[in-house]
Amino acid sequence: MLQSRLAFIGGGNMAEAILGGLLACGYPLSQCVVTEPLQARCEFLHSKYPGLQVLSGPQANHLAVNGSESVSYTAALVDNGSVHVNPTAGSESFPPAEVVILAVKPQVLRGVVSDLGKTLHQRKPLVISIAAGIETSAIARFMAEGASSESGSEATAAAPVQVQDKDLPPVIRVMPNTPALVNEGATGLYATPDTTPSQRLVAESLLGAVSKQVSWVDQESLIDTVTGISGSGPAYFFLMMEAMEDAAVKLGMDRETAKELTIQTCLGAAKMAQSSSDDLKTLRVKVTSPQGTTDAAIKTFERGGFRDLVAESVKAADSRSKSLAVELCGSSSKDSKL
Amino acid sequence: MTQQQQHQGRLAFIGGGNMAEAILGGLLACGYPLSQCVVSEPIQARCEFLQSKYPGLQTLSGPDANSLAVQGSKSASTTQSLIQDGSIQVNATAASTDFAPAEVVILAVKPQVLKNVVVDLAPALRALQPLVISIAAGIETSAIARFMADGVDEEALVAGSVKLPPVIRVMPNTPALVLEGAAGMYATAEATAEHREVAESLMAAVSKQVSWVETESLIDTVTGISGSGPAYFFLMMEAMEEAGVKLGMDRATAKALTIQTCLGAAKMAQLSSDDLETLRIKVTSPQGTTDAAIKAFEAGGFRDLVQKGVTAADARSRTLAKELGGAKL
Repeated sequence: MLQSRLAFIGGGNMAEAILGGLLACGYPLSQCVVTEPLQARCEFLHSKYPGLQVLSGPQANHLAVNGSESVSYTAALVDNGSVHVNPTAGSESFPPAEVVILAVKPQVLRGVVSDLGKTLHQRKPLVISIAAGIETSAIARFMAEGASSESGSEATAAAPVQVQDKDLPPVIRVMPNTPALVNEGATGLYATPDTTPSQRLVAESLLGAVSKQVSWVDQESLIDTVTGISGSGPAYFFLMMEAMEDAAVKLGMDRETAKELTIQTCLGAAKMAQSSSDDLKTLRVKVTSPQGTTDAAIKTFERGGFRDLVAESVKAADSRSKSLAVELCGSSSKDSKL
Repeated sequence: MTQQQQHQGRLAFIGGGNMAEAILGGLLACGYPLSQCVVSEPIQARCEFLQSKYPGLQTLSGPDANSLAVQGSKSASTTQSLIQDGSIQVNATAASTDFAPAEVVILAVKPQVLKNVVVDLAPALRALQPLVISIAAGIETSAIARFMADGVDEEALVAGSVKLPPVIRVMPNTPALVLEGAAGMYATAEATAEHREVAESLMAAVSKQVSWVETESLIDTVTGISGSGPAYFFLMMEAMEEAGVKLGMDRATAKALTIQTCLGAAKMAQLSSDDLETLRIKVTSPQGTTDAAIKAFEAGGFRDLVQKGVTAADARSRTLAKELGGAKL
């Protein structure tokens, strides 16, 4: 069973969902560390996962990735304010991370990764990014920036060391979706060519803790399409269900009944689709008696351009994903701004 | 009494098609006693299929099958003589060939034949007063009552000297076949609270959502939402899969991600106390990818289109009810 040392950089909803899913599957708590800048969020994680090592403070990310060689090493960092720890996990020693999960907001990722550049270069963990819109080549660039400078905090170095790509950790980019929060995620993954099959397997099983569907794409550009389908997709179904609920209410049904029937219909349709070997068109045709009620509705949808509308919207999300990537991953050395 | 012991009355399925089988299968999976069930089904091949899938299930076909299923058999020898004279064919592997009258009759025949079936059964139904549950689309409870009153004097009915069995009308949906149905139910005034409970627990064997409506006209709306609704989501998913493929994704991946996204969204909606609008807003960062898609849906009049579709199904349901409930079929 997978038991690699995991460091979550950022302790937001998605990180917590993955961590929670893993722990529920029996992943050892002692093999996990989370770094999180917001104190309130740290306290929440402390209380929800007693004994979980949660770090905050200026050196938190470095410590999480690099590991701590001794109790006194950690204690010293705590004493000088470089790091704050979970009181119930206490100061301890822990190994370097084998897997680093970048779970910070896209807008701050560059700074975070650049700061970690040297440490990542030294330790070479598998890096998994769940940040939307940040390309693997950009992550590599940010790591190289950080690894090449004299010190992490200096903007320029007198004689920067050139760091080869092959010396940098391999990166796997992941597009999960919100239903991961209820262990029903649909996730797309892209692995750079320098990842090994066993690294891919690690990423797959980590995301598999909260996803019922995990799919690899062969080109990174398809991550934008994953975004358009499953990344943003839950909202499309929320909208569909909302529209159906409203329609029923307009026809005289009480809202509660309309909502409950609609949601279970959505769920039932998905379950049928998953358990059937039929394609979606065949499933629909099988339940659509000519001249019946379903036929009346479907004809209305077709006449109204339903398919084209869905296609346009998926495409809009895909396009926006591509343009966000351009905005976020500019090659200038200035900080990206959103 | 445990939940399992509560509703174990004798059930007669009139018609052994997909929905009847789904309900029967779901009940058996929940521990309903096989010996308490009988299915009347005219197509021999279908009977054989049911017999092989549910060994020991009593299936009946032939001219007297429906009334035997409802009335029960007075004795094994009575059944034998009916078999001998060709009035019925039975399942040779069934546990026994004498059985009690039905406490619940589930009308699972096609709407177009329901009138004739019920008219034929009318005397037996009136004599026995079982709970009658109809899953036939488009047939109003008043029509069923009229069919059950066939041959009875109008005055006797009004005077109350002849009672009609209580009728509960159900609009289930296809995901019942995978035990994930959504069902709307309407009970006539003659149905007691206990009748409702029985009907509800039967439908709950295959439905994760069972909702009562207070006026029968809302069954047409149930049709527009959950009755026909699975097809709307199949269409939505098909369109998303196609969109993915057009953007360069392979079909299998597009399909698998789409379907799980639908499932995940529904699960989130079920588990959350938020309404659907709030759920959507929470996952839609301003200027993000989801925002771009939602704006496109809205600009294209998505909500109106969905409303039109639901309304069309509701309207067609009403029209069908008029066509099927009329005195002439």
